[in-house]
Amino acid sequence: MTTNADAFLAALRLSDSFLPVGGYTASYGLEQYVNEDRIEDGDALQELIAAYLRRVVGPCETVALANAHEASATDDLEALLAVDERLHAVTMPREFRESSTKAGAKLCELLEQTDSRRTAGDPTGNSGGKVAGDGGAGCGEPVDLESTFADAIAADETPGHYPVVFGVVAQARGVSRLEACLAHAHAFVTGLLGAAQRLGRFGHTAIQTVLADLRPTIRTVCERHVDDEPRAMASFAPLAEIMGMRHERAERRLFMS
Amino acid sequence: MGYRDVAKVGLGGPVGSGKTAMVKCLVPRLVEKGYEVGVIANDIMTQEDADVFRESFADLLPEDLVEGVETGACPHTGIREDPSMNLAAIDEFTERHPELDVVLVESGGDNLAATFNPELADYFLFVISVAEGEDIPRKRGPGVTQADLLVVNKTDLAPHVDADLDVIEADASEVRGEDPFVFTNCKNGDGVDETLDHIEREVLFA
Ligand SMILES: Nc1nc2c(ncn2[C@@H]2O[C@H](COP(=O)(O)OP(=O)(O)O)[C@@H](O)[C@H]2O)c(=O)[nH]1
Ligand SMILES: [Mg+2]
Repeated sequence: MTTNADAFLAALRLSDSFLPVGGYTASYGLEQYVNEDRIEDGDALQELIAAYLRRVVGPCETVALANAHEASATDDLEALLAVDERLHAVTMPREFRESSTKAGAKLCELLEQTDSRRTAGDPTGNSGGKVAGDGGAGCGEPVDLESTFADAIAADETPGHYPVVFGVVAQARGVSRLEACLAHAHAFVTGLLGAAQRLGRFGHTAIQTVLADLRPTIRTVCERHVDDEPRAMASFAPLAEIMGMRHERAERRLFMS
Repeated sequence: MGYRDVAKVGLGGPVGSGKTAMVKCLVPRLVEKGYEVGVIANDIMTQEDADVFRESFADLLPEDLVEGVETGACPHTGIREDPSMNLAAIDEFTERHPELDVVLVESGGDNLAATFNPELADYFLFVISVAEGEDIPRKRGPGVTQADLLVVNKTDLAPHVDADLDVIEADASEVRGEDPFVFTNCKNGDGVDETLDHIEREVLFA
């Protein structure tokens, strides 16, 4: 499945916590687990993140991402919007939805400003542009799905969830579908581990051990869900969702979710 | 309408230096001058801080122009490396209130190195207090040297903490060069109008 150097670098950029899309403000309910003393050590942390991977990131976000990637590859706006809507419907806690749509919008906005030259003939850029009907950026100019989707998000016509945006922008930069899923899941895990380190008292070695131990889970979960149909999208994490919802009402909060 | 269409004033500085107190001094004066104002609290327990602002500005600002932004225990990241969640909150302000003139963004209390991302703040106040030690300006932290306006607050406490205002003034002049600084006392409002003059001149009339 590997990939040219540009796509590899794009995947690194998209999975780096340096990407300014607010990832550091999300704990996906982890803050609530810590506040309720449910995470006492590295094993418990690993178990929790593995459960998130198996029950939320895999069956929900990875499915959304993979199908958004597919929609982008086939230039199918309708399918893309359906994926976005479906992910919105299956993401229960309000804070999870908000974190995800804010990050999605910010990623779109950012790339629109930083990567706009991409469409002007950079071969690593857009894989399948289409021709705008009317409206768009001037008649007859190629408008890629990424821009169309960004416009729809900006106009509030679609929620613009992060994994969906991620799928589109990764595909447009030549990152394969499975690699995009892996990059996203890896970023999810490092984001959560960073949150855990700031919330609890975990050593850097303990945190890296959890990361290393989770590698097979990341891989299995992505491989298992990369080919799922959109309608398979569902989350099975009642406790995480309850934590996410309790977090909304928590008095002490450092994180947005 | 979006965050680019509104003036944004950042207030940074160490914990307890008087950022919240300064926001509380500035908002009524700005409102009196006819500006439509929004306020964002990035402080550590943000919803709590936002609630304090909502309460104290109950007669001045609509509730939906006061917002708390949680920065995941990374206050400096929220105002410097990745201000996206602050900008998202400002976008929501401008969507609901297209006439908005200015947003005050209070950063979570941080260290002397925390500066505002220029895309988040058109103008950036760094608030220190005399009670944190008279040597702070001399240490030349990036906040002290790079801020558009250095605010030295709590002048009323100087005699109680053995801080010499003349020393602070001399050091501030030296490290700031041509750039301005003001002495303030947020308890009685000394220096607040001067602070406001700077803000008006540099961002609101600009
Ligand atoms: N004596 C005195 N106290 C002040 C002054 N400004 C703020 N304070 C007090 O200092 C404490 C911290 O102020 P606050 O504005 O919350 O600091 P922040 O952490 O920078 O937002 C509060 O108890 C304020 O009432 C001042 O000019 N003089
Ligand atoms: Mg404060």
